[in-house]
Order: sequence, then structure tokens, then C-alpha cells
Amino acid sequence: MVNTRRKVAFRWWSRKSFWYWFFLSIFLLFIRFSKGAFLLDIFAVFSRPFWPGTAQKEWIVNGTNLEQQIRIDLLEKDNQRLRQILKLQNSSKKNQVSAAVISRRSKDFWQQLELNKGAKDGINAGDAVLGPGGLLGLIETVTLTTSRVRLLTAPATKLGVWIERSKVHGVLTGIGTNRPQLNFLEKMPDAKLGDIVSTSPVSTLMPPNLPVGVIQSIDEQNLPSPYAVVQLIASPEAIDWVRVQRSNEKR
Amino acid sequence: MKRDKNRILYKCLALLVPLMTLVSPTWLSISGVGPRWAELWLLPWALEEGPFAGLFAGFCLGIILDGLNLDGSSQIPALIFLGYWWGCLGRKRKYSDKSFVLGTLILFGSFLSGFSIWLQQSFQFQGSFFNVWALHTVLAGSIVSGLIAPLLCSLSLNTFFRGKP
Repeated sequence: MVNTRRKVAFRWWSRKSFWYWFFLSIFLLFIRFSKGAFLLDIFAVFSRPFWPGTAQKEWIVNGTNLEQQIRIDLLEKDNQRLRQILKLQNSSKKNQVSAAVISRRSKDFWQQLELNKGAKDGINAGDAVLGPGGLLGLIETVTLTTSRVRLLTAPATKLGVWIERSKVHGVLTGIGTNRPQLNFLEKMPDAKLGDIVSTSPVSTLMPPNLPVGVIQSIDEQNLPSPYAVVQLIASPEAIDWVRVQRSNEKR
Repeated sequence: MKRDKNRILYKCLALLVPLMTLVSPTWLSISGVGPRWAELWLLPWALEEGPFAGLFAGFCLGIILDGLNLDGSSQIPALIFLGYWWGCLGRKRKYSDKSFVLGTLILFGSFLSGFSIWLQQSFQFQGSFFNVWALHTVLAGSIVSGLIAPLLCSLSLNTFFRGKP
């Protein structure tokens, strides 16, 4: 039973277990640094039969009517203003791609969606994701066939927004709850309950004037600056299809 | 021989952890928070294989889950600690046989791991530490895991490690 060839020389690289652990650690590191690329693509293949069907499309059409009205109003005013000043980033419906939600975790510590379209369809990190009603979140990471959305409600999601009526700017910050917090930049903001919050038209990162939500309550006593609680128009719990506003340039 | 086969099978079952995390069935959740599948897999493994196997398995699961979640907080420290702790508990067989004990271990373990994420997020995002939403999420996650743990963990313990010949 004694294997005499073993006594000739000891080579650490000829041991099977070394290579087992080596390749396992490479594999784990690959998964970690590609943000789960390999696993997510496998998941997309396996969950293909369970992707949501087309029945929800009618519902989306109904839901977009309200969004359309708000959008048209905002766009007209914005166009007049831009003609006076200068041209900024364009938002056109042509550059949108619709994607199905294949994994939804909207209430946990990590509030995110996985979409079934990825880099192959021209989606980049930082693109805006729209549901029926308005902005849902931003693309966080992209794999070949999937992409991950960071919802607006997720902790530490920050987005520059403004109130169109009074042209007050603020930072919309996710705090984990259903309603993100709008931190104003000035001491005495002209904001009222029911004001519509939309993405800021001076942003170079986001398409301008996507409706985000409605102000639900305002805390004017807060220091150093007041904040408002915003009810989002689009709700991620019930949405199976979203649209991704593709930006042309890579970031 | 059969035991080795069962161990390999159980290792392959670890792939279900990221998949179930992605699926996150809504009927198996309390206020939208699903069970912590990593702990549910880790407990039987650590109880049977000892502290260092548990520690290493916790590390591997943590790496995979961090890849699937948004950046900003890591589950690795909590899972490493839980793997080691449960491995030490597994030496005392009389504690870990009852399914009620399994449920309690999972309850405490998920609470600890949820609390570690709460700590990391409250340091990182400069939000207030006493956050009702974070408390709700931690409690919901640990309660739903603790409720299905007696079923799942004793099932996997009996199937893969302590099956009658």
C-alpha cells in the first residue's frame, strides 16, 4: 500500500488539493468582483419561464396617462425656459428600452430589482429606470444580460431633484422606508404639500423632468435645513415591466 | 462513503442560497423581508463540521451574497462569526438535536447578522442609528427565518448528516 513514488520529491503544485482551493478562490473572487455576473446570468436563464407576461402592458398604458399629463406640463415650461438660456441634456422616448423584472427585493436592507436586459441592450450604469408613473431608480451594475436597479427608497440613494412650481432644488435621499426624504438646500424653501417633485433639469447625469413623487409632509423646524417626505408615484412592489432610459455616452 | 456523498450534495445545495435570495418568494416573507437563506444553510453545516469549516463556509457564502447585493454593507463578518459559533455549539450534541433549539439559534443568528448590517449602514450613510425601519427589517428577517428553521434545518440535518442507515 505504500506509494514509493511519493518519496521522490514533494511538489506543492502537484497536489490536487492546492489546485482545488486555488480555483475555488479564483471563482469566488470572480463572483465577488463581477457583482455576481455569472450567477445572475444563470439565474436569468433558469427563471425565463417565470418572467412576467404581456398582460401587464395594458395596465402600464393606463398608468402612464397620469405621468404623461405631468410630463407634458413640465416639458412645455421647461422648453420655454431652455430656449431663453441654453440647451442641456435631451430626453426622448426613442432611447428607451423596456425590460422585465426578474428578481424583486424592495423591502430588505438592499432595495433592488434585477432586470432581464443588460449591456447587450445598451444599458449602462447610472441610467434612469422608469415604471408606470415615474422614476423608480438608477442602474447600479450591469452584466451581459441582466442589470441591477438601485431603488430610490434604498438607503443612501441620492438624486438631485427640484420642485417645478417654485424652482426649489433639493437632494432626494433614500432612507429605507417607502418614502424617501427630500433635503432642501436652503433655509426657507418655498414648498407646499402636494407639490410635484421631478428630476432636476440642470443635472448632467439624469434626463430632465422625470416625475418622481409628491410631497407628503414637510418638517420646517429641522436643522441645518428643512426636509420633506416624498411619496413616490411609481411603486416597485407591483411592477413587472420597467423602461430604462438609455444614455448614449458611457460613464 | 455515503456520508461523503451526502456532504458533497449538501455543498452543492449551497448554490440554492443565492438563487433563493434572488427569487425571494413573496408568500414566504414578513412585510416584504424574506428569510436569510445563508444562515439556514450554514447552521446544519457548522453544527456537523465544526467551527473552522463553519467559519470558512460563512466566508464563502458572504462573498457570494455581497456580490448579489447593493454595495455599502457586507455580510461576511456576521456569517464568519455565526459559522464559528455554531461550529463550537455543534460539539455539544445534546443542545443541537431539538428542532426548537435550531429555530432559536437561527433566530438569534439572523438577528445578529441583520444587526451587523444595520450598524454598517448607519455608520456609512450618516443616517440616525435609531431607525425604526432598520429595526423592522432586522426583526422581520429573523422572525421569518426562525419560523422556518425548525422545518428546514432539521430536515437537512436528518437527510444529509444523521440519516438512519
